[in-house]
Amino acid sequence: MTLFLVVGLLAFVAIVLGARVLTARAANDEALSDAQRFTEVLARSVAQPDIPRGLVRGEPGAVDRFDRLATDRLLVGDVRRVKIWAADGTIVYSDEVRLIGERFDLGAEEREILDAGGTDAEVTDLDKPENRYEQPGGGLVEVYTRIRSPEGEPLLFEAYYTVEGIEARQAAVIRPFQRITLGALVVLVCVATLLLWLLTRREARAAAERERLLLSAASASEAERRRIARDLHDGVVQDLAGTAFTLAAVAREADEPVRSTVGAASGSLRENLRALRSLLVEIHPPDLTAANLPAALEDLCAPAAAQAVDATVRVAELGEVGEDRAGLVWRVAQELVRNTLRHARARTMDIDLRRVDGVLVLEVEDDGVGFDPAAVSTTAHYGLRGLQALVRDSGGTLVIDARPGAGTRVRLEVPA
Amino acid sequence: MKKLTSRLAICGLLAAATALTTTPAHAGDEVVNRGSCTDGTHWKMKAKPDDGRIEVEAEIDSNVTGQTWRWVLRHDGDVSARGTSQTRGASGSFSVARRTVDSPGTDHFRFRATHAGEVCVARVSL
Repeated sequence: MTLFLVVGLLAFVAIVLGARVLTARAANDEALSDAQRFTEVLARSVAQPDIPRGLVRGEPGAVDRFDRLATDRLLVGDVRRVKIWAADGTIVYSDEVRLIGERFDLGAEEREILDAGGTDAEVTDLDKPENRYEQPGGGLVEVYTRIRSPEGEPLLFEAYYTVEGIEARQAAVIRPFQRITLGALVVLVCVATLLLWLLTRREARAAAERERLLLSAASASEAERRRIARDLHDGVVQDLAGTAFTLAAVAREADEPVRSTVGAASGSLRENLRALRSLLVEIHPPDLTAANLPAALEDLCAPAAAQAVDATVRVAELGEVGEDRAGLVWRVAQELVRNTLRHARARTMDIDLRRVDGVLVLEVEDDGVGFDPAAVSTTAHYGLRGLQALVRDSGGTLVIDARPGAGTRVRLEVPA
Repeated sequence: MKKLTSRLAICGLLAAATALTTTPAHAGDEVVNRGSCTDGTHWKMKAKPDDGRIEVEAEIDSNVTGQTWRWVLRHDGDVSARGTSQTRGASGSFSVARRTVDSPGTDHFRFRATHAGEVCVARVSL
C-alpha cells in the first residue's frame, strides 16, 4: 500500500509536470496566435483604411493625421509600439516619432511577409538600432503583417507586445486547463487510493483467514501426527521392544540352530525398532531442550547403521538453550543427516555440537563424494538454500565447505 | 490687370499689417504669436513641445458669438488638420488645439481661418 502510494505520488507529480510543460507550450502558441490575430485586425481594419495619402512620402500633415489616429486607436490592449515600414526599410510611421523617416535593414522574414503576405511573430532584438528607444530589460514580441498604402505600396505593419503580456495571456489560457487536469488527477488518485485501501483491507482479511485456516490445518495435522506417534510409541514400539527382549532371552537359552535363528530375528527386530523410532522422530519431533537434544540427534542417526555409515554424535555441555534454538539445531542436523545418507555415499558421518562464547556451533561432516556448492542447481539443493534462509532469519550463519571427492563439512553458528 | 494689381497691393498691405502686429513671445519652450485679421478680429497662436510631439493651439477672437469659421492648420506647408468652429461665450472666440509630430529641424505651422470674407493667417515656428 505504501509502495503503491509512493509510486502513485511520483507518477502524479510526473504527470502534472509533463502536462504543465505541454500545456505551457500549447498556451504559448495560443497566446502568440492571439497576438497575431489581434495584429491582423489592427492592421487591416484600423490602420490600413486610415493611412492618408502622402504618409509613405513622409508629408508632415499626413504623418500628423495618422499619428492622432494611431495614438488613440492602435496603441490599445497590450500593444506597446507600432511601426509601419516601407519596402525599402524606411519607417514611414511609428508612435516613437523620432524613428519616422529613418531607414534600417529589413530581415529576411520581414521581406518575405512584404513579398508574399501573411503574418509572423518573433522575439524583439532590443540591440537593433531601430529598437534603441525601448526600455532595456523589458522583453518584447513583435508581430508583423502586410498592409497597403492608398498609393498601393506594400507596407509592413508591426505591433510590439510585452513578453509579460504574452505570458499573462498564456497563463490565462493555461489556468482553466490546469484546474481541470489537476482536479481530474486528484480525483483519480483519491478514487485509486480508496479502491486500493478497500482491496488491501480485503486482501488483509483474506490473508488473515488463510493464515487462520493454515494454522488450524497445521494444528490439526500436528495433533494427528502427535496422536499417531504416541499410539505407535505406546503400542507397537513397546510391543516390539518386549518381543525383541523375549526373543533375545529365548535365544540365550535355546540350542543351535534355534539360537542363531532366534538371535538373528531378535537383531532384525531391534534394527526395525530403531528405524521405527527414527521415523517417529520425523513424524513428530520431540519438544527439544538442551537436555534431550543429544538423544534426538542420536535418533536422527539411527538410519545410518542400515546404510553402513558409521555415525558419531558428540554433544558437549550446552548450558541454557532456548526451545527455538534447540529446534533450529535439530532441524539443520536433520536436513544435513538426510543429505548425507541420501547423496554422499559416505562411510563415516560426524555430528559435533558445542557451545562457544554464547554461540551454538553444530558441525556435520562426512567423507562422502562431496559436491561443488557453486555448480549445483538451485532446485537440486533447495533444502540447503532453505536452511540457509532459516538460519539467516534466526541471526546465525551456515557455512558449507564441500568439494567433489573430498567430503562435505557444514558448520552452523547461531546465538544460543 | 488693374484689378489684380490692386488685389496684390491689398494683400501686401494686409501681410505687412499682420506682420507688424505679430508679437512673438517665448515662455520656456513655448512660442506664442499674436496678430490681427483683415477685419479687426484678433488671433493668437502658440506651439510647445509635448512628450516628443508639438502641441499647437490657435485662437480666434472676433468678439461676436455664433460666427462659423472655416480653418486649416498646415505643418511645413502640408495640411495637418482642417475643420469648422463657432465663436462662443462672452468673448466671441474659439480655439483649436492639435498635437503634431515633431519633425527634424524647425517645424513651421500656419493656421488660416476665414469667415464672411475676413481672413486670419497665423503662423508659429518651433
